[in-house]
Amino acid sequence: MALHLKIITPMRTAVDADVSSVLVPSVQGEMEVLPGHADIIVALDNGELIYRPVEGAQQSVFVGGGFLQVSSDLMMLVTDTVLEADEIDTNSVEEAIARAQESFRNQSSVLSREEQTHLAAGIARQLAMLEYRRKKHL
Amino acid sequence: MASLRDIKRRIKSVRNTSQITKAMQMVASAKMRRAQELALKGRTYMSALANVLKHLQDTLTEGISSPLMEMREKGKKLIIVVSTDRGLCGGLNANLFKEILTRCDADADYLTVGVKLNAQLARCGRNLVASFTIGDTVEEAELKPIFQFVRKGFTDGTYNRVEVIYQKFINVMVQRPDVMALLPLSTEDILKVAQQDDVEDDTNPNYLLEPSPKALLDSILPLFLGHQLVQMILEGKASEQSARMVAMKAATENAKTLIGELTLEYNKARQTQITNELLEITTAMKAME
Repeated sequence: MALHLKIITPMRTAVDADVSSVLVPSVQGEMEVLPGHADIIVALDNGELIYRPVEGAQQSVFVGGGFLQVSSDLMMLVTDTVLEADEIDTNSVEEAIARAQESFRNQSSVLSREEQTHLAAGIARQLAMLEYRRKKHL
Repeated sequence: MASLRDIKRRIKSVRNTSQITKAMQMVASAKMRRAQELALKGRTYMSALANVLKHLQDTLTEGISSPLMEMREKGKKLIIVVSTDRGLCGGLNANLFKEILTRCDADADYLTVGVKLNAQLARCGRNLVASFTIGDTVEEAELKPIFQFVRKGFTDGTYNRVEVIYQKFINVMVQRPDVMALLPLSTEDILKVAQQDDVEDDTNPNYLLEPSPKALLDSILPLFLGHQLVQMILEGKASEQSARMVAMKAATENAKTLIGELTLEYNKARQTQITNELLEITTAMKAME
């Protein structure tokens, strides 16, 4: 018995494969899904997703938040961002972080609460991206 | 009968026009491919998201409440019109406008994405409150003000209902005007989006929810809402480019036929002229004999 994993983003269907196990970064910590898992809907955090295809070596991608739905061994993961390690450009991410922090410092008085949360979420996501990349390449 | 020079001038101008339409057709078809791809990929994402949301709703027995799902009696209706920024796309905007006249209330407020229908709306006495322009790439930064406007209007009670009218992309030849309710989010609408794609349909109401139903709902609803609006704008873009490509192709073909006809006329006129000249010469020769 195998799980079927589908990762869907607005741009593409990033992964569509039969897998034997998946490790996802849920907001409450890492969670592993094996065949026969109870039906569940989970909110995801930024982080690394590791899946083991039925045939072939273990794979890993970065996911930026989103939701995972497991229903009778069909896993549907809906997210905005899916990146392979080599798709992350360290320099541009670092620049983006610097820019966001800059606007945080300079305009924190004029930004609405909503905008501040949005900025903070962006920074958190980019930091998670960097960490993921370092882990893969060092 | 037009003189030779006039005909020649017309042929030249028609040929110039056809070169322009041909170029526009090329540009539109390149843009169309991209827009179409985005719109179709977006549909898969939307229905997947709707699917998750539907299961979430099935599981929540006590009924879910979110400010975004609130039904109210008071307030006005806001209609978002997704038109285009430029013309030359056949009957796309005209059809959309006809649909607006028949299906949308005259006393509602209107917000346009794309400026092409602004003047027409104003002429019909519709209340235009805001107008936005979105580039071909549909950047997040361009969409943000629209969102803020809509969400603010809905949450502070100015509007009790938000609808979007847009051209749904069916295929390159066919685009159909479609009205979609955006706010308040209702179960039927979510179901409609969820079933648009061939995702399996089960009604298992026993999902575990993590971290909590409320937290899930609070994060998934704005996401769903945002992507739904983006999706409709993407559909509008795909429709625009396809309609433009088809219109420009027809224009290029018309120009080609016109050039053919004019060339024929030109040749006839030239032949007549030569015949006349020959006649004159022979008559002159006859007279001298």
